[in-house]
Amino acid sequence: MRILIAEDDAISRTLLQRTLQRAGYEVIAVENGAKAIAELVKHDAPRLALLDWIMPGKDGVEVCREVRRRKEQAYTYLILLSSRESKEDIVRGLESGADDYLTKPFDVDELKARLRTGHRILELEDHLVEARESMRFQATHDLLTSLWNRGVIVELMSHEIMRSRRERSCTAVMMCDIDHFKSVNDQYGHAVGDEVLREVARRLHNSVRSYDMVGRYGGEEFLVALNKCNPGSAVSRAENLREKIAGRPIQTTDKPVSVTISIGLALSTEFTECTVEEIMHQADMALYAAKAAGRNCVRVAQPSGDSKPVEEQSKETQVLAP
Amino acid sequence: MRKQPMEAAVEQPRQGDWDLKELMERLGGDQEFLRELLVMFREDVRMNLEKSRKAMAERDYEGLSRTAHTMKGMLGNLSMGAAAETAAALEKTSRENQQDDSKELLEKLVKELDGILPEVEAQLAEVKS
Repeated sequence: MRILIAEDDAISRTLLQRTLQRAGYEVIAVENGAKAIAELVKHDAPRLALLDWIMPGKDGVEVCREVRRRKEQAYTYLILLSSRESKEDIVRGLESGADDYLTKPFDVDELKARLRTGHRILELEDHLVEARESMRFQATHDLLTSLWNRGVIVELMSHEIMRSRRERSCTAVMMCDIDHFKSVNDQYGHAVGDEVLREVARRLHNSVRSYDMVGRYGGEEFLVALNKCNPGSAVSRAENLREKIAGRPIQTTDKPVSVTISIGLALSTEFTECTVEEIMHQADMALYAAKAAGRNCVRVAQPSGDSKPVEEQSKETQVLAP
Repeated sequence: MRKQPMEAAVEQPRQGDWDLKELMERLGGDQEFLRELLVMFREDVRMNLEKSRKAMAERDYEGLSRTAHTMKGMLGNLSMGAAAETAAALEKTSRENQQDDSKELLEKLVKELDGILPEVEAQLAEVKS
């Protein structure tokens, strides 16, 4: 464990330093408050600090205040060292953001015991942060596939569509649905069905750019949003996704399973007057059209309402392309 | 009244009130470290006393209070209890601009340190050999 010592008196500093080194700490020793602050707000700063109360320049109380004000990252456990013992002083010290205080001259056993308390608090803090991060992930991701969950993918896509309108770029919205997924479950069981969902999710995720978004929209339905997408290449990118799934069977623990997906594509530039919900509805309609056309294909939503097969759309988008 | 500590010191087994046993516990029995600290102490004490005298002569009580504070910490950490207490008293009186009391306390501190320094020298000679 690393620890910072800020103490202006050389003898006291050396004594503390050696004592803590002997107790197994890696010690950073500085002689004033300004240097202490500089060390404590660093990216990989020590998480434990012993600060002398009275130092030239910034004193221990000021260091506590400054560190609490400036640091948003991991918690730092701050102990003030003081020869002051009046109640008002102690209260002032603790209110500045110190976690504990020790009176000088220090007793080695007491010092070690107080530092162990600090360790406990820091461990607790780490556990809490870990739990919070894990909950944050669970609240935003789909449990089975680790893709964005429905709420988040819709929200992210809405922001992206709004942005593309401001920037006059295009967001391509794709509703992707695994064809005949029910029969996969019926034939191989739900465990294999889950493996298929995970692998489809993985392939979709790996086939788009890092700034595109993939989420699980429903049971076997995925929503893909391609940001800053060239309208002329949207169809071929949808075809690419379709091919990534249909191209080779999925290796499950049971046996290889071949599945295909149908895709309904809607371009935000084609529906400039529509709400996000309406655009998603358009993509959904195009998906129905793809299913009706025999599945394992891409259909593009048209402002008129008809979803055109890819071949015709491709010609049109080529015309539109710069 | 300020002559008391010298008499009190006579009653104690150690001259100048230095609890070497407590200090050695703090140092985990490390003789070499003790030596290192005492060498620092010899230098620092001389420097701080000089600073104090200068501050006193210039009536810089704020400076005097700061130096007394530093000495208080140093002396306390080295288990020189009585001298640390005197330094603490000096820190207080000089902060409150009490000229006469501060002058007396500084003299007292010098005497107490005069009592301790030979012991420090003896200790250094002992560790060296």
